[in-house]
Amino acid sequence: MSTTTTAGPHRARSSWAPYLFISPFYLLYVLFMLVPIAVSLWLSLTEWVGLGTPHWVGLRNYRLLATDISFHRALGNTAVFVLVAVCVVVPLALLIAQALNTRGLRVRDLWRTAYFVPVVVSPILVALIFGLVFDRQFGLANSVLRALFGTGGVDWLGDPGWARVSIALVMLWRWTGYLTVFFLAGLQNVPRELYEAAALDGAGRLRTFTTVTLPALKPVTAFVVVTSFIGAAQIFEEPYLLTGGGPAESTLSVTMFIYRAAFQRQQFGYAAAAAVVLFVLVFGLSQLVNRLLGIGRATS
Amino acid sequence: MTRARLPLYAFLILLFLGFLAPLLWALSGSFKPRGDIFAYPPKLLPSPFTLDNYRTLLTDQPFGRWFLMSTVVAVVATAVSVFVCALAGYGFAKFRFAGKNLLFGVMFSSLSIPFAVILVPLFVMLVKTGLGSPWFALIVPWVAPAFGIFMMQQYIVQSVPDSVLEAARIDGASEFGIFRRIVLPLLRPSLGALAVWTFLQSYNSFLWPLVLVSDSSQYTLPLGLQTLFVSEQRQYDLVLAGAVLAVLPAVALFVVLRKQLLEGLSTGAVKG
Repeated sequence: MSTTTTAGPHRARSSWAPYLFISPFYLLYVLFMLVPIAVSLWLSLTEWVGLGTPHWVGLRNYRLLATDISFHRALGNTAVFVLVAVCVVVPLALLIAQALNTRGLRVRDLWRTAYFVPVVVSPILVALIFGLVFDRQFGLANSVLRALFGTGGVDWLGDPGWARVSIALVMLWRWTGYLTVFFLAGLQNVPRELYEAAALDGAGRLRTFTTVTLPALKPVTAFVVVTSFIGAAQIFEEPYLLTGGGPAESTLSVTMFIYRAAFQRQQFGYAAAAAVVLFVLVFGLSQLVNRLLGIGRATS
Repeated sequence: MTRARLPLYAFLILLFLGFLAPLLWALSGSFKPRGDIFAYPPKLLPSPFTLDNYRTLLTDQPFGRWFLMSTVVAVVATAVSVFVCALAGYGFAKFRFAGKNLLFGVMFSSLSIPFAVILVPLFVMLVKTGLGSPWFALIVPWVAPAFGIFMMQQYIVQSVPDSVLEAARIDGASEFGIFRRIVLPLLRPSLGALAVWTFLQSYNSFLWPLVLVSDSSQYTLPLGLQTLFVSEQRQYDLVLAGAVLAVLPAVALFVVLRKQLLEGLSTGAVKG
C-alpha cells in the first residue's frame, strides 16, 4: 500500500486528487455498466418486441426459461465449454509454459511468439480456417486422418458430438498461447533456490513440481482459472461463426441464445431474462472463487 | 542439443506446427483458384498460383473502407483508453483515500460481468438516445477496461518510486502535472503493452459491431467479411483473401511489439 499522501503539508492538498484520477472510469462504469444492468433487470420482467412500450409480465420470462429446452441446452453446452477451458486448456497451457521455462532453451522467443499468434487473429479468419480444416469431404483434418489411418469420415461440424469437439479444439487453438504467457511469467518468478533446495533433498521431477512449482504458481493459477472461466462462460464467436449453434443446438451457447432471442426473434424481455441468469451464475461463481483464492485486492 | 532434450524439442515443434499450420493453410488457400481451395488430395502450395482473389476483392468490394473504419475506431479507442487506464491505475497505486478498497473491489469485480448482460440494454439505450452511431458506440463505452486499470495499477506500484513523486510535490508541482510529466514517461513500456492489447481487442471485436452497425457503409472489417461470406453462399476465395489481408496488420503489430505486450500482460497476474 502506498504512503504518499501521509507526507504532512501535502496531505490536504492531494486529498481530492485520487478521486479525480479514478473518476473517468467510474463515470463510464455507471453509464455503460451499472445502468445497463439495471435496465436488463427491468427488461427481464417485461415482454417487448423492440417497438412501443415494454409490457410488464412479472416473472413470466424466468418461468418460461425454466422449461425452455433450448435454454437448458445452451446452459449445458456452455458448461461443457467452461469445463474444456478450465480442465483442458489451462493444464495444457501450464505444461507448455513448463516446457518453455526449461533452462537454456533455444529460441524461446520464437516458440512463445508462435503459440500466441492465434490470439491476435480476427475471429472471422478463425472461422474460415476451421471451416477449411473441418470440412467433411475436403477438410484438412479428414485428409490427414485418411493419410495416417486410411479412414477419415469424421463429420466434424455436422455431428452433434463431433461439433462440440470441434469447438473445443478451436478454443484450444485460440486460447492456449494466451494462458501460457501468464504461466511462463509465473514460472520465471519462482526463485531458483527453491529448485536447488528440492534437488538437494533428492526430490524427483514430479515431486519438485507438486511441492515447489504448484504452490509458487497459486496466484497465477487463480487468475488464469478465473479468466478462462469468465471467457468460456460467454463464448460466442466460435459457435456462431463455425456451426451457427448447430447441429440441433448442440453447440448453442448462452450468449448465442441471448443474441438469437433479442436480435433474431425480437424477444428483448426474454433475452434480458436469460442474460440476468448468466450474470448471476458468472458473477456469483467468480466472486466466490476470487474470495476463496484471495485475488483482486488493492494490496501491492 | 543433448539427446535428453530431443522429446522437449519434438513437443515444441509439434505445437509450433499445430498453432501455425492452420494459418499457413489459410494463407496458401487465399492464392488458389476457387475450385482448388477444397481439393482432394489437398495441395500444400497453390498451383496454379493466382492473385485473382485479392484483385477481385479489392476492386469489387469496399475493403479499403472496412479497413479504414476498423483502424480509425481502434486507434481512437486505444488512445483514450490508455489515458483513462493510466489515470485510474495511478490513482489506485499511489494514493490512500477513503473508500479505496471498496472502489477497487467494484472496479475489479466488473471483470466478471459477462458482456451478454449489457448487450441488449446498452444497444437499446444507445439507439433510443440517438447515440447509436458507430463513432460513438464502438468507442466510448469501451475506453475504461478494468483489465487495463488493474494492469496499470500493478505496474505503477512496481516501477514508480514514491520518492520521485514526493520530490516533485515539494517542488510545488500540481498533482496532474506530476502525472503528466513524471508518471506517464515512466510508464512508457506498459502503456505500449496496453495500447497493443486494446488495439487488437477493438480491431478484432465482432459481437458488438454485429449487433450495433446496420448501415453497410459503416461496416468494420470483421463485419464486412462476414457479410461477404454469407452473401457469397459461403464461398471461400474472396473472403479468405480478405481475412488474410485483415489479419496481416494485427500479426505484424504483435510480432513487432511482442516483448512489451507479453511482459506487460502478465505484470498483474504474477503478483496476484
